[in-house]
Amino acid sequence: MTRYVVQRLLSLLPVLLGVTLLVFLVMQLAPGDPARIMLGAHANEESVTQLRRDLGLDQPWYVQFARWLGGVLRGDWGRSIQLKREVLPYIAGRFQNSAYLMLLAIFMACGMGVPAGILSAVRQYSPGDRIAMVLVLIGFSTPVFWLGIILQIVFGLWFGILPVSGIQTPGQAGTLDLLLHMVLPSLALATAPMAIIARMTRSSMLEVIRQDYMRTAHAKGLAERVMIGRHALRNSLIPVVTIIGLQVGYLLGGDILVELVFSYPGIGLAMVTGILARDFPLVQGAILMVAASYVVVNLVTDLAYAYIDPRIRYGE
Amino acid sequence: MVLRQKLFSVMMLAGLCLALGGVPAVRPALAQAPQDGGTIVVGLQAEPATLDPPQLSDYNTARAVYNMYDGLLKFKDESTEVQPGLAESWEISTDGLVYTLHLRQGVKFHDGTPFNAEAVKFNLERQFDVNHPYHNTGDFAYADFTWGSVKQVDVVDDHTVKITLKNVLAPFISHLAMHPAFMVSPEAIKKYGRDISTHPVGTGPYRFVSWTPGAEVVEEQNPDYWGTPAHVDKLIFRPIIEDQARLTELQAGGINFMVNIPPDDLAGLKSDPRFTVVEQTGMHTWWVYLNTMKEPLKDVRVRQALSYAVNKKAIVDNILKETGVLAINPMPPVVWSYTDQVERYDYNPEKAKQLLAEAGYPNGFPCVFWTPESGSGMQMPVLMSTAIQADLKLVGVDCQIKTFEWGAFLEQGVVPPDKKPEWDLMAFSWIGDNGDPDNHLYILLSGDQWPPNGFNCGYYKNDQVDELLRQGRTTLDRAKRTEIYQQAQKLIVQDAPWILVDHETQIVVMDQHIKNFKLHPTGPFRFADVWIEQ
Repeated sequence: MTRYVVQRLLSLLPVLLGVTLLVFLVMQLAPGDPARIMLGAHANEESVTQLRRDLGLDQPWYVQFARWLGGVLRGDWGRSIQLKREVLPYIAGRFQNSAYLMLLAIFMACGMGVPAGILSAVRQYSPGDRIAMVLVLIGFSTPVFWLGIILQIVFGLWFGILPVSGIQTPGQAGTLDLLLHMVLPSLALATAPMAIIARMTRSSMLEVIRQDYMRTAHAKGLAERVMIGRHALRNSLIPVVTIIGLQVGYLLGGDILVELVFSYPGIGLAMVTGILARDFPLVQGAILMVAASYVVVNLVTDLAYAYIDPRIRYGE
Repeated sequence: MVLRQKLFSVMMLAGLCLALGGVPAVRPALAQAPQDGGTIVVGLQAEPATLDPPQLSDYNTARAVYNMYDGLLKFKDESTEVQPGLAESWEISTDGLVYTLHLRQGVKFHDGTPFNAEAVKFNLERQFDVNHPYHNTGDFAYADFTWGSVKQVDVVDDHTVKITLKNVLAPFISHLAMHPAFMVSPEAIKKYGRDISTHPVGTGPYRFVSWTPGAEVVEEQNPDYWGTPAHVDKLIFRPIIEDQARLTELQAGGINFMVNIPPDDLAGLKSDPRFTVVEQTGMHTWWVYLNTMKEPLKDVRVRQALSYAVNKKAIVDNILKETGVLAINPMPPVVWSYTDQVERYDYNPEKAKQLLAEAGYPNGFPCVFWTPESGSGMQMPVLMSTAIQADLKLVGVDCQIKTFEWGAFLEQGVVPPDKKPEWDLMAFSWIGDNGDPDNHLYILLSGDQWPPNGFNCGYYKNDQVDELLRQGRTTLDRAKRTEIYQQAQKLIVQDAPWILVDHETQIVVMDQHIKNFKLHPTGPFRFADVWIEQ
């Protein structure tokens, strides 16, 4: 098991190298000069050339990439061109904010999606099942940014019970304040995964409850709660866990939109502003961090299978 | 003199009231004295990039920075005329090359170190002298623009500094009021190095408290300010990127001061008693460059025809909805020497067709029209360009619109003539920096300011205009300069090198209890005299 984990972690390296190289090349190919964008329309060509030299942007791309990579390996992720600060502490802080948001979103998605799926399966074709599945369809089809704006208007403006945007109330920063600020964005982010998880749980559960051993359990006179909770749920969870793992990838994408709508200072927002400013060091750093986290989440998902299904064993 | 003016105003007001058939009720607000205390929470469009003034190059940053600093000179309220700042008085030598500044005494930076002539020399040289030991503590976007003509800075005594120029530059006096002339504590720069960007230390009415990245910049009133201390206790600047979210925050009370109102929401906010809307036409112009190097736009009749063909007023009324005013001159009305005595190109498709026929294009011609998707000062570029495209189509000019992301647009659209840009028409905008006519006319329309030198992107050239613009920047006498620039404006508009559309109105919406706020044409928010009704 340990060997498997180490192997998987080592395989991270080529993936990350590939991802960063790809992103670097894409950023190079995209038109737009960071020095010009940063100095604005009013700077003359000479200052732009000077800045390009200062930033090392006049070097061939492979020299720039090698320098950046060398720096990263030494723990120096460079300085953001646009924000004039060290990249690593900046994006680490941003990443932490996003991680909180995504954790809460995943928690909400599972917390509502799994029970909804189970209830729908157990009471298949009941009015409850139908209503739940219609809601799921709506949840899955709603664009995340639109939902975000609606949530802001309803809970922030009409009811006035939750903060509309940002991450802290001026002068009242604290854990509770942070949690309150996370409710609406994570709800917006959680809606689509919640819908998918509910559907997946339902279909997987339906399949399991028709198995022979379930009929046997029923014949033995087991209470429905025990049957579903102990026998069916665990067996139906494998595909659900896979989906949850995959949803983390979706969350990273949806996160960008949600952070934009809610001005939530996470890694997604940092990437968007970084890309618009052609801020190579910032974008590279952010992508590296996001890619690494995605690979790690996949690994955790794989390990979770082994926990849920004793038949799955790694590295033996 | 002042008293007489006041008396006259009172009499005029009284006369007006009588004429309208009544006497106004005395409103308590008028009688109120400023109150101290409270917090202003400003919703910005983006996070400030830096809090070091010489490094800033955008409005959001300028707004977060402004109140923590003082410039050597200061723009007067609601005008771009200069008045004393950290320099109490100044003299300009008769040859226009030496500026002697007499500095205010007893001023201290927020870190307690004294402000003096050495500090001025340090601040200026840090920006333009590449060999200065602290030059590498920042990237100075405006160094060349502001200090490019400075030969040397000399300390005469502790409170006198002498700036010598390489060549006469009339607008230089305005540069002393711009953000690169905001004084930063030299000791703080030595202490923080590049991190001065996040540790601002100035002399202004507010001082820095904290900056939580992505969340807020907090500033508090400086009780030791050399001038009258500010009334409001705290300023908080919050980046809220989406216009709609910013508006919802304002309505929900998360902020009490916001910029960039979506045009569709303006009318609603104006009629909402909870808020006050403050407007001022800024130093902005939005226009379409015509590539004067290409056929058929070489022909002045064709260019004039295009100006007649576009219904500019409809764009201002229906798309911008009171967030801009119709432009008839490349220079915004707020800049001195502006004249409306120029050729007018009011919407007239018949005249456009006639001019096109005279020029040999009775059936119009095809063309390529570049426009960015968004960008600094570009308002609603795609919508506006589409309206222009539709108008031009009516006179037979068939434009193909190509849209670009802002960074790509600047790189590929703003190019020297030998690169032969693909576009015939290109949407653009400009926000003036120093309130001098030179900053609009010379850099955008002089024949020696084709890219990469400047932003005469349509390669317009008129020798007579060039000569006037050269004279304008080397003549010190204001009256003579006014005459020169007015003549230049007439000639330029006659040549119709651009399709002029609008000057954007700066608009802020704030809580109705915030009093005495005035917008400044240069864009930053001045909170020193603002107070909140408790």
